[in-house]
Amino acid sequence: MIRFNNVSFAYEGSEELAVRNINLHIDKGEFVGIIGPSGAGKSTLVSLINGVIPHFHRGDYYGEVLVCGKDTLESTCGEISRHVGSVFQDPEAQMVTTVVEDEIAFGLENFNVPAGEIEKRITESLKMVGIEHLRHRGTAALSGGQKQRVTIAAAIALRPEILVLDEPTSELDPQGSRQVFQTLKRLNQEYGMTILIVEQKVMLLSEFCSRLMVMEKGQIILDGPVRQVLEHHDKLLELGINCPRVVTLTKLLKDASLYDGDIPVDVDEAEQVVRKILEGAYDQHTAFDLSLR
Amino acid sequence: MISIQHLTYRYDKKAPLILDHINLEINKGECVALIGQNGSGKTTLLKQLNGLLKPTSGRVTINGLDTATTKTSALARHIGYLFQNPDHQIFCNTVYDEIRFGLLNIQCPPEEIHDRIKRIAGLLGLENKLTRDPFTLSRGERQRVALASVLVLETDILVLDEPTTGQDYRECVEIMEIVKDLNRMGKTIIMVSHDIEVVADYCERTIILHQGRVLEDDATHVVLRKSESLMLSGLEPPQIIQLALRFGPLFQHVRSPEDMAEAVAACAVPGGVRV
Repeated sequence: MIRFNNVSFAYEGSEELAVRNINLHIDKGEFVGIIGPSGAGKSTLVSLINGVIPHFHRGDYYGEVLVCGKDTLESTCGEISRHVGSVFQDPEAQMVTTVVEDEIAFGLENFNVPAGEIEKRITESLKMVGIEHLRHRGTAALSGGQKQRVTIAAAIALRPEILVLDEPTSELDPQGSRQVFQTLKRLNQEYGMTILIVEQKVMLLSEFCSRLMVMEKGQIILDGPVRQVLEHHDKLLELGINCPRVVTLTKLLKDASLYDGDIPVDVDEAEQVVRKILEGAYDQHTAFDLSLR
Repeated sequence: MISIQHLTYRYDKKAPLILDHINLEINKGECVALIGQNGSGKTTLLKQLNGLLKPTSGRVTINGLDTATTKTSALARHIGYLFQNPDHQIFCNTVYDEIRFGLLNIQCPPEEIHDRIKRIAGLLGLENKLTRDPFTLSRGERQRVALASVLVLETDILVLDEPTTGQDYRECVEIMEIVKDLNRMGKTIIMVSHDIEVVADYCERTIILHQGRVLEDDATHVVLRKSESLMLSGLEPPQIIQLALRFGPLFQHVRSPEDMAEAVAACAVPGGVRV
């Protein structure tokens, strides 16, 4: 679905490569979280997928990016946007109209979606992100968190095969952030939408994503199933990346030889780990399978 | 040091109460987290402290000065204020001038100005950015410029509205370590945060504001166990507290992964459980 072959990019006027020798393959239906310190190249990676690079940002471009089999360098932005929906970091930079429902309708009209269908999609996408009540509101008077939800609704209304999101929950409170991830999970499971999300909230990435990519200095330095990446607890901390606290706990329990099974990704799984230890039922020689629960 | 008595506030006569009979005492040297949902009145309350807003009724005093009758410029010598969005605060053409602006306003002796700017820039990792235009910096860097322009004034009280937004984890920890150092030096800190882990790690006291009222006000480790109050505020307890709460009273003293690991180790005996 998405393939990077030896991709490097330096922004115009900068000598430094923002991303370096990226080789990457993402299949249909994956839910990928991308994390890393600021300046690691996360936004650049996302911009290479939705065509913002090379179509808006110029610079030195090496290698090739294939999205749905087509080289993004040879497609227009319009063509790419039929496959890839985008939610950018700053919602204000993305909004083009003054009323919420117009904002959702804008992309649909551009895609020549029939009028009756537009109505249906507006209702549906506003509902999915929990902002039906904002439908007729002016966009200027919305809070940062509300604006972020509007841009997410506008993107999913187009039902893209791939959705890329760059820190879409930065202005949302913890419950609002969780709600966004639950929406994404539903889109991923029900529509098979492929999702890539750049996010600092590692706790949510761990709980919801199937795959985690860690970037540093323009490169992908860890990439794999969430549990496998979280095994590199010390490395993550060294990179300045927060670890879910249940992972830190598990690391301590392992160090104390109380546990040597799979890493729990959320509180439910951590509870299982602790119960097993307390019940004394945990046998160090047969790591139990967390997926059985 | 900060005393709030029966404070109510509404933006105009017909508007609903934003702050509804708030009573709070904050002592010198405390580090207090103020949490609550968007619209709960957090920012409005902070603006009462430095006199940007005046009480509709009730009284706010800062180091004995009544905010209703004291000029905002006089209060600014006691209280430094970091706005939520750095772009609402930054307006000079260089980082240097931005940090200098407040110093000029408080009539800092000219011979001190340069040293103070250098020192604070060093503390916040901005020493190489002093000649840059703030608006060419990243969001995280702009946040630190805004913070520098507040810290350089060396006020007793620091009011910080979401000081770690837009920062990655490492930057977040760096900022909070600076804030904590200032607190250890005796500064009083009041900060709004949505990041419950930051609150758990750095603040001793936590106040939850809900619909303009104080819903909880207690030691942080006590407040962070109040799942229902947190839920009302769009928050959830930190992961480790959530985990501890599932075991009833067994882990009631647990505050961190380290505590939890220790407590689990103490309970676990081969083949059984120590009760």
